[in-house]
Amino acid sequence: MRRLYSSLVDGRGFDLCLIGIPLAFLIVLSGVPLIYNVVMSFQAVDMFSLGSFIRPWVGHENYRQLIAQPEFWPIMGHTATFLVASIAGQFLLGFALALFFWMNFPGASWLRGLFLVSWVMPGLVVGAVWNWLLSGDFGVFNFVLHQLHIISDNVFWRSDPAFSLWSVIIANIWLGASFNMILLSVGLSSIPDDLYEAAELDGAGALTRFWTITLPMMRSTIGALISLGLIFTLQQFDLFAAITAGGPNNSSNVAQYWAWDLSFKQYDFAKGAAISVIMIVVVMLASVYYVRSTRHEVRG
Amino acid sequence: MKTSAILGAVLYAGAATFGMAAHAADPVTITIWCQDDERQPGLNLAKEFGEKNPDIKVVYRQIHFDDVTSEAMRAYSTGQAPDIIAIDNPEHALFASHGVFLDLTDRIAKSDVIHKEDYFPGPLASVTWDGKIYGVPKATNTIALYYNADMFKAKGLDPDKPPQTWDEMVDAARKLNDPANNVYGIAFSAKASEEGTFQFLPWAQMTGGGFDKINTDGAVRALTIWKTLLDEKLASPDTLTRGQWDSTGTFNSGNAAMVISGPWELNRMSQEAKFDWRVTLMPVPEAGAPRSSAMGDFNWAIFKSSKNPDAAFKALEYFVSQDPRVFPDWGQLAARANIEIPTTGDAKKDAAVKVFMEQLKYAQPRGPHPDWMKISKAIQDAIQSALTGQATPKDALDQAAATIQGILG
Repeated sequence: MRRLYSSLVDGRGFDLCLIGIPLAFLIVLSGVPLIYNVVMSFQAVDMFSLGSFIRPWVGHENYRQLIAQPEFWPIMGHTATFLVASIAGQFLLGFALALFFWMNFPGASWLRGLFLVSWVMPGLVVGAVWNWLLSGDFGVFNFVLHQLHIISDNVFWRSDPAFSLWSVIIANIWLGASFNMILLSVGLSSIPDDLYEAAELDGAGALTRFWTITLPMMRSTIGALISLGLIFTLQQFDLFAAITAGGPNNSSNVAQYWAWDLSFKQYDFAKGAAISVIMIVVVMLASVYYVRSTRHEVRG
Repeated sequence: MKTSAILGAVLYAGAATFGMAAHAADPVTITIWCQDDERQPGLNLAKEFGEKNPDIKVVYRQIHFDDVTSEAMRAYSTGQAPDIIAIDNPEHALFASHGVFLDLTDRIAKSDVIHKEDYFPGPLASVTWDGKIYGVPKATNTIALYYNADMFKAKGLDPDKPPQTWDEMVDAARKLNDPANNVYGIAFSAKASEEGTFQFLPWAQMTGGGFDKINTDGAVRALTIWKTLLDEKLASPDTLTRGQWDSTGTFNSGNAAMVISGPWELNRMSQEAKFDWRVTLMPVPEAGAPRSSAMGDFNWAIFKSSKNPDAAFKALEYFVSQDPRVFPDWGQLAARANIEIPTTGDAKKDAAVKVFMEQLKYAQPRGPHPDWMKISKAIQDAIQSALTGQATPKDALDQAAATIQGILG
């Protein structure tokens, strides 16, 4: 009894407690829902069996039906486009801004803070604002493009199947760029100045310094950022709900929005769960990469 | 072990007797879930009912429109359903067919307040499943054609003779369309949501079609007309992604000469629209064709799991007894034909309400069918794929009909 007590206060027991509490927390709040979701994707579920765990087992039937739907592959394609374009756009814009503010002109830190406003705003508000900006007949975006003589006819960003996905991507890039900028700024400021001084003495130009010092030193930050971006982008739901609702004709529908639509609009919870499982696999692969890239950071 | 068992038994007995005693003194509690806030009937009527009946305690919970069904499902499957819920009418059949709602047929037959024959046929059909009545229509609405009489005059159209048929409507839209002044001929909603189905289904119904035969020649013609309106830019391309409320906003601001929408617009329109606006019945396929229109709004229902169905039904009776106040106090239309609508003093609004009351006679429910949301999705997909040019109206509706046939079995 006393040994148990002392182990709990200062010993292995204490260590186990420290690990056990967050572990239990994770299992209850993440693990169980995750398993529940995976199990549900192999069952026949309707609204009245939502509360029970034991439901008829249908094997791969939900997945088979899902893939057989004509919109499945287009939606997966849109999801990939949305991911790549959003992450690339957010990262490039964020990096450009980070480098810009790194020049440390008067008011740079102040302005950098202002950029964070976009990240602080709720997604639905951002969506509503972009909804107006991108509106076809009276949108600000069209007006500006018109004045610059880039377009002669109004572009119906939200309603033209060729543009609808891009209208959400544009909004998402705007939303995420500042977050990228902040993380990259932190990465930039952690690079020791003497590296640059030494390189400059050796006659390295600005571009060479960027390629041989900045980028390699930022490797782990960039890796982590892109993995985080993947997760945030796969979570992006509000913008779709506010701007296009996946339309027209599914041309801007992506996996996460489709999962919600199936589960909570059509009450087909099993298929909604099946899409989530597909997405979980993708996010897990990204997490593995994220963990590996941050581990590298600790070593370096 | 033994002591605790005895103790438990004593406690249980004590609690039981105490509970019995308390039951007589304490009021019964009924829980009401509804999306209405203080400007709408649900909340006010629930509060009044509680005040008038000291032996019944009313707990009101306001639920956001989008969450009503999923909250209700979750609550029911975990045994925590409320006693009364206000549910969107196309979702009613889902609950009724699964035996989740209380069958009110006998109670209504005995009631002095609720009479089946008072109701418009559309709302009544939406609470009916398999010949039994599972609820009471809370209010109702429908859609008709609003038009800008000033623009009619400016373009040489007679504002006293608004379009009565589909062809006349398209003609009028062509004449009223004025891109130079940012005016579209007509506005409506073909959004990929319940709103799109809500707006399209009446067109199919007027030609003898319906959700169970969505690919009739008439429905194909209707969808072709919608496509014409979009292709000729007589309606904004944003019709595809814009709901009815936003579409009507463009009418109010003078950027559309006509709009198909419902009576929920009346208050905003009388404030915002600075022109002579009027309403006419939904145009029909050709002169003399049967009329139809959409039917919206919520129904009251009692969950079968309710422990106080008598008190809950008493509450419904009170709500129904107050139907005459629904329009003057909160601007909604009761689902009953025998309610006198008082004038508001706003001539345009009063004239419009008369048209909507006439239109309500032809309003048809969506469904009723337990899988309505899947059926509706098939119709939305057809509308959207035809209007974006991915399929011809005929192919799109054939596809929808095949999907719906699979759902109906």
